[in-house]
Amino acid sequence: MQDRGSFRDPGNRVFAAPDAVYRGLSAEAAEEWRALAASKLGGDPRIVATEEVADAPEPWAALLRHERIPFVSYPYEWPFTLLRRAALLQLDLLLDALDEGLILKDATPYNVQWDGARAVFIDVGSFERYREGTAWQGYRQFCQLQFYPLLLAAWKDAPFQPWLRGSLDGIAPAELRNLLSFRDRFRRGATTHVFLHARLERRYADRTREVKEELKRAGFRKELVTANARTLRKLVAGLEWRGASAAWGDYTQTWSYDEADAARKARFVGEAVETLAPRLVWDLGCNDGTYSKLAAARGAYVVATDADHHVVDRLAREENERILPLVVDLADPSPALGWRGEERKDLPGRGTPDLTLALALVHHLAITRNLPLGELIDWLAGLDSALVVEFVDPADEMAQRLLAAKREGLHADYHRGVFERLLGERFAVERTEELAGGRRILYLARPR
Amino acid sequence: MLAYLLSYLDPGSGSMILQMIAGGTAAFAVSMKLYWRRVAKFLRIRKYDDDD
Repeated sequence: MQDRGSFRDPGNRVFAAPDAVYRGLSAEAAEEWRALAASKLGGDPRIVATEEVADAPEPWAALLRHERIPFVSYPYEWPFTLLRRAALLQLDLLLDALDEGLILKDATPYNVQWDGARAVFIDVGSFERYREGTAWQGYRQFCQLQFYPLLLAAWKDAPFQPWLRGSLDGIAPAELRNLLSFRDRFRRGATTHVFLHARLERRYADRTREVKEELKRAGFRKELVTANARTLRKLVAGLEWRGASAAWGDYTQTWSYDEADAARKARFVGEAVETLAPRLVWDLGCNDGTYSKLAAARGAYVVATDADHHVVDRLAREENERILPLVVDLADPSPALGWRGEERKDLPGRGTPDLTLALALVHHLAITRNLPLGELIDWLAGLDSALVVEFVDPADEMAQRLLAAKREGLHADYHRGVFERLLGERFAVERTEELAGGRRILYLARPR
Repeated sequence: MLAYLLSYLDPGSGSMILQMIAGGTAAFAVSMKLYWRRVAKFLRIRKYDDDD
């Protein structure tokens, strides 16, 4: 089946099969692929493992077979650390490609996917032979989808995820310029890559063809692309998101149990993972990733999500090779986006888990976000996976704190009896365990 | 000629000019040359297509 996100490049089409991903190449694209395969970058572990399949079917000149990525994710779900890592990979590959007489013709972060903490460049169709006298066609795209979003977080402490989700083309030079203050003008890279860029873009609008000719005549050459890429690499490597290190402090302590209960909870989750031996686990509301790590240590690949960018970024910096940390607000999760709403998929559209962990999550969604319990359980049942879920009784200190912010009686149906009845309608509960004197209850359930 | 027929992404003309400037010292000579051509063309010292 053709991947609905692959249609912009006419020489390349991607098809998803259960065992692998296939890519059909036109005659021109096949030549570019062979140039890549023959270079030092052929077989590079940073690029998705690829082999050419003999006897390409019509109309393709060549057919490639790629290794599958465990779970597809998008830049608007990545924490700062992952977007920066992806941007650095992009620039490193560009620099290595230039050394080999090749170039990356685009620079979209959607070309990078994750195998745990390891960035994998998936679009071999982006490599082509460098043509003397030409500029890097992907420079603007690199700015709009990678460099500027990182600047937004690093300089303005504003989240880039909503912006990238709102616009698949990212942040335009003039848009970022308008957000920057006078002080920002003096930051490294601002004058050239933002202010001047915005100005030149306006001045030379719709003159692409002319400018290409002029650049070539003026003697534009590869060394300029290299010099620019090196500068960008230094700038990106130097970017830090202050929010990442800022007051996060004792989040885990405040929101957790005493030691004995914590140990029992870990044992309950650990046994569930061992019994079910899931390939893919979703840890929803992962917080510091305690249970993601527990599942990963038992052989699962874990997609760990939390609405809090800080905790997700922290988990990303730990670089666990079996955990993919994503910023996802379950009350407003990633929608399907792009052309026909099919280019970028919603979360379940990319594959559902074998086991879902929803620990210390339900009370946040039900009380703070006003999601009806029945709706929430319905959604979990829709994933058709085994479930470990925790119910925090209204008498619990944490639930009390959340309820105190709400009008009295608004959450009268937030009740253990109601929760268990609703859960029982959709799932077969196999095990339960009471913690903290019965104020927190764990359930292991399978869909009916 | 071939180059722009083959690119599938609009690179943005301003973005291309910028790359010349962003190339640092290596870019300086090229920039000067580009702008000198513009000035020369403006002053009609030489015609745009003379030199290839």
